[in-house]
Amino acid sequence: MKAVGIVGVMKASTGLGMTAVLLGGCAFQNVSIRTLPAEDPAAQVAAAAASAASLSAAAANENAPGAAGAGPNGPGVAGTGTGGTAAAGIGAGGAAGGTATAGIEASGTVGGTAAGGIGAGGTTAGDDAAAQAPPLTAADAPSMHTYDPWERINRFNYRFNARFDEAIFLPVADTYRRIPSPLRAGVHNFFGNLSEIDSVINYVLQWRLRLGVRSLGRFVINSTIGIGGLFDPATKLKIKAAPTGLGTTLAKWGMHPGPYLVIPLLGPSTFRDGLGYLGDYGAEYGINIAHLYRGDVSWGLGTVNAVDQRAHIDFRYYASGSPFEYENIRFLYVRKRLIEDDALHGKPETPPGEPAGK
Amino acid sequence: MPSRVPLSEMDINLPWKHRVPAVFWFDRRLRVWFSAQDKPAPLAILIAGTGSDGNTGKLSTLRGALYGAGYHVLTMPSPTFPGFIVAASSTGVAGDLNQDGSDLYAAMREIIAHLPHKIQITDIDVLGYSLGGANAAVVKSIDAKQGKLKIHRVVMINPPVSLFSSIGRLDKLFAQSIGGDDQAIERLYRRLYAQLANLYRASDRQQLDEDFLLGSAAAILKTDAEYSAAIALSFRIDLINVFFAGDLYAGTGVVVDPKHPPKVGDSLDETERVLRSKPFSEYFGKVFAPYYLKHRPNSTADSLIADNRLDIIGDSLRNDPDYYAQTNSDDLILDAQELAWLRSTLGRKIAVYDHGGHLGNLGDRQQVKDMLDMLAGRWTGAAP
Repeated sequence: MKAVGIVGVMKASTGLGMTAVLLGGCAFQNVSIRTLPAEDPAAQVAAAAASAASLSAAAANENAPGAAGAGPNGPGVAGTGTGGTAAAGIGAGGAAGGTATAGIEASGTVGGTAAGGIGAGGTTAGDDAAAQAPPLTAADAPSMHTYDPWERINRFNYRFNARFDEAIFLPVADTYRRIPSPLRAGVHNFFGNLSEIDSVINYVLQWRLRLGVRSLGRFVINSTIGIGGLFDPATKLKIKAAPTGLGTTLAKWGMHPGPYLVIPLLGPSTFRDGLGYLGDYGAEYGINIAHLYRGDVSWGLGTVNAVDQRAHIDFRYYASGSPFEYENIRFLYVRKRLIEDDALHGKPETPPGEPAGK
Repeated sequence: MPSRVPLSEMDINLPWKHRVPAVFWFDRRLRVWFSAQDKPAPLAILIAGTGSDGNTGKLSTLRGALYGAGYHVLTMPSPTFPGFIVAASSTGVAGDLNQDGSDLYAAMREIIAHLPHKIQITDIDVLGYSLGGANAAVVKSIDAKQGKLKIHRVVMINPPVSLFSSIGRLDKLFAQSIGGDDQAIERLYRRLYAQLANLYRASDRQQLDEDFLLGSAAAILKTDAEYSAAIALSFRIDLINVFFAGDLYAGTGVVVDPKHPPKVGDSLDETERVLRSKPFSEYFGKVFAPYYLKHRPNSTADSLIADNRLDIIGDSLRNDPDYYAQTNSDDLILDAQELAWLRSTLGRKIAVYDHGGHLGNLGDRQQVKDMLDMLAGRWTGAAP
């Protein structure tokens, strides 16, 4: 979650957390029914087709000689990336959940024939050292074991988050989803636009100036033509969002993820990424653009941002039904971050023989 | 396909469940999903495949088709999904066709009794894919005796014929494509990690998201052999939960010390590590068989295996016009003999497609059309 009003959320949550525990009693009701957003099978079919195209593009790319070490202007796996502002924490969990699903849903035939064209070309490659590095081999993969010295408190926090989500966060997000979607898109764009400032700062700190210029461009376009960030004309102009933050900056500077960390309300993270959230919030608080972060509205604004983020994340605690969910999410989250780190450096992140993340 | 399918989720407490073990605190109630028409309509109940919850992508595809054809739709988890084992199983030891069928049947009755009153049901049909297909047929045969729901038609989509030989085949597939020893999973993981990391490096993305993973799947799973390995792996991942729950409930002590079951907050790292290299045959030999041999007088290991073949309802499948099936001649969970048995038993009530493997053609135009024809009683046999 971007840092807008984290403190606001914290304040709100102290009270709400108590309520959550009480509401946990809901689970003892005999029957409860919850209305979900309606499904759109036609759109799902279209999305499946799009992902099949992206699949064949990826396959084609893999088959291309030297794909893994593609040069600065080499083709991307897909130019169709959403790069949306999925919140870290729970958002990563969502992505992680996706892997599991992909595995479970694997079907018996090879889907889609190759040769679906790649969409618009990649964005701005070339800033990353990884492009020149030799491809990773199986021996470079981190251990299957994850560095988690704070496991007890992490597990406690995971359970707390699950209960809070079920009792408070999700019902509120469900209610929010009933607001007409153009209005919600405005809210989402608005917060996304504010976070571009932090992205610009961090891209500069990471010395990835082209990406920094892109974020700055998005901010300028969306704040003006997009009426204070309520609309997102930049994406229509093919300048796609690519948010970053201090966690990634610290990674770029060589800091390891460190211990796995489940942050109350935010979800799965690592020590480094946790510092990142604090820093991101500090930067936004310090800049205090349009007095949004320190004024009277900051409290409410932070809450709306949190709810908007939650409504965009397709993750449900314990939808897996599995007692190993903590282990599985931890496994997937840390590897996701290590793969992202690897792309920043072009070298394996964890020394062989150490638990992943250390 | 309709452009809008309303969806609700129901959490229901079922009175016959066991005391919920501490580590399963989140699975207290059974979660199912339903989509209701606003006029009287037949209800189609869908059962998921092995290990899956009641809202998978496959169920969603079928739900869209059935809702569009005018059915109320209720989707349920597989009796091998941990949420079902904890909230709805009367034994906690999943995988027995009769036992799972009667638990499913009882759960269906409770759920239907608690649906909102405005939902008017004119008829009930049951469908399922993979193991869920076999479950669906057994549920109908139970209903034929008890008559509480008056289930009309059943469509089995890619069902197994013998549970244990299908799963045995998956064990073998796992051993062949991934490896049988303890190190095999680690090797697979390392290879996948490196492949994903290299694809990600080449991708220009700033975040590893679901979209990227979906795209990568095709790059990594290029051959039928790799797809088979993925299927074997996903069964193994599902088995981890079934094995753990069964061992815990039956007190068989393979990975859970019956005297000191894990508490909320205990690390299950080591337990999962041990379980991931255990094949299905070990679940059968060390948990399933000991439990059912003890609880079913006069049973033997062979009789347990025989009890888990569709033969147990062979007469109904043969003589009752309301059992249908769809499968593929290249489905890896069936061998030639089993496919022949399905054909000869069901006669004109089965559609066998040439391609599709295990569930690969689920949602295809022909599959959906035939399924709807079967449910409506319009099916007259495969087109020549």
